[in-house]
Amino acid sequence: MAGTSPSSNSSRPAVETRQLGRVYKSRKDVVVALQGVDLSVNQGELFGVLGPNGAGKTTLIKILVTLLLPSSGQAWVDGLDVVTDYRALRHRISMVSGGENAGYGLLRVREQLWLFSQLYGMSSSAARSRIDELLERLGLAEVANRKITGLSSGMRQKMSLVRGLMTDPRVIFLDEPTVALDVGAARDVRTEVRRWMREDPTRTVILTTHYMQEADELCDRVAIVNRGEVIAHGTPQALKQQVDEDVIVDLQLEPGRPLLDALRAVEGVGAASAREEDGIDRFSLLLADDAVLPRVLSTVEGSGRRVTGLIRRQPTLEDAFVKLVGRSLHEEDSAENGA
Amino acid sequence: MGVAIARGWQGYWAAVRLGWAISSNWTRPLLFIVYSVLRPISMALILAVMYAVITHNSAAARPYLAFLIIGTAFWSFIQEGVSEFATGILEDRGRYHVLKYTYLAPLDFPIFLVGRATSKLASASASVVIVLVVGTFALGLPINALAIDYPLLVVACLLAFVAIMAFSVTLSMVLLAGRDSHGYGEIMAQFLYLFSGAIFPISLLPGPLAWLAALSPLGYWLELCRRAILHGRVYEMFPQLSDGEVLGRLVLAVAGTLVLGYFTYLISDRMARRRGYIDMESNW
Repeated sequence: MAGTSPSSNSSRPAVETRQLGRVYKSRKDVVVALQGVDLSVNQGELFGVLGPNGAGKTTLIKILVTLLLPSSGQAWVDGLDVVTDYRALRHRISMVSGGENAGYGLLRVREQLWLFSQLYGMSSSAARSRIDELLERLGLAEVANRKITGLSSGMRQKMSLVRGLMTDPRVIFLDEPTVALDVGAARDVRTEVRRWMREDPTRTVILTTHYMQEADELCDRVAIVNRGEVIAHGTPQALKQQVDEDVIVDLQLEPGRPLLDALRAVEGVGAASAREEDGIDRFSLLLADDAVLPRVLSTVEGSGRRVTGLIRRQPTLEDAFVKLVGRSLHEEDSAENGA
Repeated sequence: MGVAIARGWQGYWAAVRLGWAISSNWTRPLLFIVYSVLRPISMALILAVMYAVITHNSAAARPYLAFLIIGTAFWSFIQEGVSEFATGILEDRGRYHVLKYTYLAPLDFPIFLVGRATSKLASASASVVIVLVVGTFALGLPINALAIDYPLLVVACLLAFVAIMAFSVTLSMVLLAGRDSHGYGEIMAQFLYLFSGAIFPISLLPGPLAWLAALSPLGYWLELCRRAILHGRVYEMFPQLSDGEVLGRLVLAVAGTLVLGYFTYLISDRMARRRGYIDMESNW
């Protein structure tokens, strides 16, 4: 059947891609945003897509939600081809992007959500009751009659999540849903996503996030995307096992000359990442064995910088990410980028 | 099928409410009403003064004054409709950042656009009545509300609305697939102004342009509006054609516009998704 996923209905993946590629062409440039992406996400999974800025995560999501056409390959969501069956597919999916001020500012929260429910063909009464239920759960009941211009960015982001969930999509795409949220609001969002999935075990979530701890905590499986390619995928536990045999050390240094490249060059350092927090440079190092540590400390000493803390710890998903990608998610955003 | 129509209708009405909220909430209600009334009256009076200066108010030119005022009155449908469609795309993309969400909703996007612009067409209806009343009492047009051929007027207007929607959806989809789209709505409206016979007969256009204007439904629509309101006492663009023949041409031109609009919609929709422009950031 043209345009339909080759898998049978019972075992049909929620999302499937085959050799998916996307090239952006302009007069000056050709940018390969995605190439040869093969993925299969099961129904009922919470699947994370991780990668540095510009890795191709958002391009992948945009293709899967039918905002963008692929340049090559094929993709199916809930069994429907994203290119040929896009109209039918839009009844079954929704998308929520974090970090944006989306919304008709002059409408009230409840009005805005009701508007979208009508664009999705929900009955008005069912929509109103579902909206009230979700607003209550996400702590927005008190602002339901407030104009959207009067909401904080965190409240707007939660309202966007209500918009995405209220239509009961088969697959929801959450693009950085907790970015820029405070700790409490981010926790509310994660709790609601989990609860929404528990309500129907066949519901599927595709999540992109910058927060490794969030991915580790929430996701059943993750794919790591770098330079447009999926370089690894599996459960967070399986990915962490890739760094099980490494010695992982966190170093805290007083600010000083850039050091990251020098540390990466030390023999036995598998990967290194750095970030700056509260005026302190923090380095995470994956060492082949304990014998590498003295060489690392010697390099630090040679740079004239002073060690203020040193911890050996258990591997995290971020360590696996750094080993696979070569840098951390925070690195490009950090002032400590060449630290 | 029935469910799909019901859902389409439901989504349309939600978009109508949204359009009304946006178009009426930019200022205080009193100022909104003053603006809605003064704007069309000013436009009509400017043309009337120009007419008076050029013709020295000669009696022989009175049918042309009626031509001018009725054309200007009904022009507001095109002005409001076309510009509101364009504004809808630009606002939703650059100001409210919701374009990708309304586009991705299952409701057909053109239905959403039509709904969003409907309130403007409603306010344009009010503006038509205001201009005609002013034309009757202030400029002495011989309009008698009881003598208007309402069936002809309603049929012509319904057909024209379909054509205006098709024009506007086409323009909106072109904007959707374009990167720099500010001002296109006004350009399109002014372009149509030239080719519609609103203020001068299309036969005055140079040869190829007159031929092009004859393909547009707008000239036939305005002609029928003038005939329905002031039959025999208004300058006619197509004196050789009967009402039925003008109506027939209007039907054909509307059908052509629909076909053209549909294919432009398909092409622009695909182009927008191919280029990845639907959720692009733009300045507002």
